[in-house]
Amino acid sequence: MSDSGIRPRHTAVTGIGVVAPNGLHADTYWKSVKEGASVLDRITREGCEHLPLRVAGEVRGFDPSALIEETFLVQTDKFTHFALAAADAALQDAGLSSTAADSPYSVGVVTAAGSGGGEFGQRELQKLWGKGSRFVGPYQSIAWFYAASTGQISIRKGFKGPCGVVASDEAGGLDAVAHASHAVQRGTDVVVVGAAEAPLAPYSGVCQLGYPELSTVEDPARAYRPFTSAACGFVPAEGGAVLIVEDLERAQRRAATVRATVAGHSATFTGASHWEQSREGLAHAIRGALDEAGCAPEEIDVVFADALGVPEADRAEALALADALGPHGTRVPVTAPKTGIGRSYCGAPLLDIAAAVQAMEHGQIPPTPNVFDVCHDIDLVTATARPAELRTALILSRGLMGSNSALVLRGAPLEGR
Amino acid sequence: MTTEVTQLTVGELATLMKQAAGVTVDPQDLESRADAPFAEFGLDSLGLLGIVGELENRHGRALPTDAERCKSPRAFLDLVNGALATGA
Repeated sequence: MSDSGIRPRHTAVTGIGVVAPNGLHADTYWKSVKEGASVLDRITREGCEHLPLRVAGEVRGFDPSALIEETFLVQTDKFTHFALAAADAALQDAGLSSTAADSPYSVGVVTAAGSGGGEFGQRELQKLWGKGSRFVGPYQSIAWFYAASTGQISIRKGFKGPCGVVASDEAGGLDAVAHASHAVQRGTDVVVVGAAEAPLAPYSGVCQLGYPELSTVEDPARAYRPFTSAACGFVPAEGGAVLIVEDLERAQRRAATVRATVAGHSATFTGASHWEQSREGLAHAIRGALDEAGCAPEEIDVVFADALGVPEADRAEALALADALGPHGTRVPVTAPKTGIGRSYCGAPLLDIAAAVQAMEHGQIPPTPNVFDVCHDIDLVTATARPAELRTALILSRGLMGSNSALVLRGAPLEGR
Repeated sequence: MTTEVTQLTVGELATLMKQAAGVTVDPQDLESRADAPFAEFGLDSLGLLGIVGELENRHGRALPTDAERCKSPRAFLDLVNGALATGA
């Protein structure tokens, strides 16, 4: 805190933790993303079989009891289990597991959430209506809540720095990273920031059925194909990612591996399902993010698209890129790895960040699974990864309720700076 | 039914702590440190509230409102067993 204001602080990403349908670790996630594997599959969750929502990206093989203490498990929903596990992995990646002991007030926590703990809530509401109010457990008061993951991460690790929750729709995943970055620039040393969701349970599934954008196609290979003439909506998923962001100089002083820097962000709002208007909103967000990053359109080496899979929304996104980036908008490589894993709401843009950072590290643009025959004027990377020198990535996200966000990431500074 | 059946033992409290709040505690440890705050065993106020709810459902009657505010295992056992014994 003492030296903020003397020098501008920059935000480094020093840790990544992932819990995704295609990998329970950042490395395995990247391997699958780079291969362009699709893990979309028929929903197997109990009580979901009869829903018209057929295909999803389920996180399978995740054993929370092996990773999280029972005292935390009994009072949390699956969305928080994912967040706690991803936070642990991110802290370990950043080499920060024990930092709280030294200076608990120097570490904050920010998460974004779209729907909270639906499965836990359903269980308790079933007790309420099936047996009576006396059978509802007290942890219902906290487990379903949007803020649960932020609270539980901070309690479990003893982090007492600035904490927050961003509830701004799916694009809130990017807004949370911006919020965390601003906290770092205002003087907090480290912020644990991320989002994970668990929307694949009966009650949560039913809640989503009202979204006209939801894909109800039965064939996993055809259910989510944005930017094609066969686009028929999006496939939901569970999981997400957590990042460690910290003051760049501090990271360099402690010889941490700087994996990327957060360069710029901007967000706009254009109303629920007004996809045509999202063109203007998204373009405005892109310009704002580039401005903050001090980045020319031509510097963007890759775009991680929102890729909703709704024809008007896809068209709006392609046009927004052209509006904001000019001629570069039709030349810059665009990708959407989420077509192979689904959209985990607020977790989706965090997973895109995890992919973008590793894409820059490996010099590979991952492809867009299940998508061929692109019908918009963008250079969408399909089929196989494309090698490229990547220094700057643009990540886009839109929410079903009308939020649009753009985030600019830069690759690791050369020569440690 | 005898009063013996309705008394809450330290062992049962340990089981309830595990069941309601995920807290693993050795009954002997719980007994020997019965005056230590619940927090020292890792039990928070919501966890204790869950135990009170479980006992109320099990016995089919309300416990005194002070039950969920008890600070230690001994205070809780005394209050609960007093209430169960008198049928209050």
